[in-house]
Amino acid sequence: MNLQIKDIHSYYGNIEALKGVSLELTAGEIVTLIGGNGAGKTTILMSISGLVPPKRGEIHFDGNPIHALSPDKIVSLGIVQVPEGRRIFPDFSVQENLDLGAYLRNDKPQIKTDLDYIFELFPILKERRYQSGGTLSGGEQQMLAISRGLMANPKLLLLDEPSLGLAPLIIQQIFQIIKKINQEQKTTIFLVEQNANLALQIANRGYVMENGLITMEDKATNLLGNEAVKSAYLGI
Amino acid sequence: MTGTYDILSYFLELFSSGLTRGSIYALLALGYTLVYGVIGLINFAHGEVYMVGAFIGLIVAGIMSIMDYNILAILFVTLTFAMIYAAAYGFTIEKVAYKPLRQAPRLAALISAIGMSIFLREYVILAQTPDFVSFPALIPKPAFLLAIKNYLEPTEVLIILSSLTIMVLLLILIKRTKVGKAMRSISQDREMALLLGINVNKTISMTFMLGSVLAAFAAILIAAHIGQINYNIGFIVGIKSFTAAVLGGIGSIRGALLGGLVLGLTESFATGYFSSDYEDVFAFSILILILIFKPSGLIGTVATEKV
Ligand SMILES: Nc1ncnc2c1ncn2[C@@H]1O[C@H](COP(=O)(O)OP(=O)(O)OP(=O)(O)O)[C@@H](O)[C@H]1O
Ligand SMILES: [Mg+2]
Repeated sequence: MNLQIKDIHSYYGNIEALKGVSLELTAGEIVTLIGGNGAGKTTILMSISGLVPPKRGEIHFDGNPIHALSPDKIVSLGIVQVPEGRRIFPDFSVQENLDLGAYLRNDKPQIKTDLDYIFELFPILKERRYQSGGTLSGGEQQMLAISRGLMANPKLLLLDEPSLGLAPLIIQQIFQIIKKINQEQKTTIFLVEQNANLALQIANRGYVMENGLITMEDKATNLLGNEAVKSAYLGI
Repeated sequence: MTGTYDILSYFLELFSSGLTRGSIYALLALGYTLVYGVIGLINFAHGEVYMVGAFIGLIVAGIMSIMDYNILAILFVTLTFAMIYAAAYGFTIEKVAYKPLRQAPRLAALISAIGMSIFLREYVILAQTPDFVSFPALIPKPAFLLAIKNYLEPTEVLIILSSLTIMVLLLILIKRTKVGKAMRSISQDREMALLLGINVNKTISMTFMLGSVLAAFAAILIAAHIGQINYNIGFIVGIKSFTAAVLGGIGSIRGALLGGLVLGLTESFATGYFSSDYEDVFAFSILILILIFKPSGLIGTVATEKV
């Protein structure tokens, strides 16, 4: 697994949301991307997933260009996004939401194994299996969103602000599980966060972004100690 | 005694013809509601697909009648051809009239739909005829139904039963199959569906095709029952079925079924017990009342319970 983003420019109409972003993710890493509101973090993920394809620049996955592929092709390569706001299908049961995660897969026995694994990670989802997605709490919805992403059997999991709006205890729990997934499944994780402190604690490396541009890149431990990062994102 | 019998049999007659109409409205309303679910638009050319389906059927049935096939074979082949052709029309309408305008304002798509509708009508007038043409009576009258023909019209019973069968099949398709799940997920959150690898364009095409198949099925049944068609038959039926879809709650499958049946029965009883002069007025009065007092329809919450 290797993802390389080379100088991408992405737009919403005439608004240039990414003004030349480059970054790289290698196999087995947890990499975090931090930055304030409107910096362009979500746009990077949407560009990778093919929903906001870059107008200029290139994205390569395992050496092959993917910046012109349709979203379903990108998912089928193993690049799976768990978007901001969780976006659980409210009318579907927990089980149906999970099934949809495996929409592109045909390997039934492996799907079953993955489902068991998920129910081990989040036993609450097994309990709530037949409950509709819309009735879950915020934390449970986030667990379901991550699980639905896992059901797609990702090589690279893109997580957009999984901590958003959740209680500190739940956030802790979810971050531990993200780390566990990375270790046990060898899934590469690209974690977009505003909760920089926690994100940097579980990440190997981090990028900082402002205003459509990457402004810093370093090992997570270095960023945690960096004065500029501390004052801007860690609230210290 | 005779009086009671007459009252009962008249009631049954109205009931059965109401259910027949209702089944047809429901089959078409499903097409409106499915398409609305996945792209949030009313496909105003849907009634024309119904009309074109009837004409395809007429051509196929005509050829086969000359060749002297038995009636069941003719019905089967006619339905098959009409449904396949209608699917192709539905597919093409989406690609030509809607897809290029997906990012455009809704009004653009509406105008495009009306344009498509006029085009299809004019096309049939030119390629076929502006006049009424007779449609062969393809629906058999099996013996077991002839036994009750004093109470219920056999053709109507067959139309009702076969429509119900198709509706049940559709419900299973929507609930259980991959394409059905894709449709329902798109209607809830299109972007999320994309992120899960669902091919949204393909699913939208499938939805148009599915709706068109149902419309053609309805068209053949009713054309064979009434015995004549012209280029205009899709117009009123289309608007009424749209009314049925709105009545039930546009976007809701169960709503379309319920709306169709309620509208069919209402029309039948209203014309039967009051006056047939106002047949079309009832449907449109219902549409207006629903839009004013309960825009979300009988079943529900438009926002969450689509498709
Ligand atoms: N659909 C859209 N249409 C127009 N502009 C948009 C759209 N989505 C985002 N933008 C703009 O693009 C810029 C980057 O937005 P983006 O959502 O990527 O930021 P973000 O870093 O994810 O912010 P947040 O932390 O608030 O989620 C912002 O200026 C935003 O206003
Ligand atoms: Mg964001």
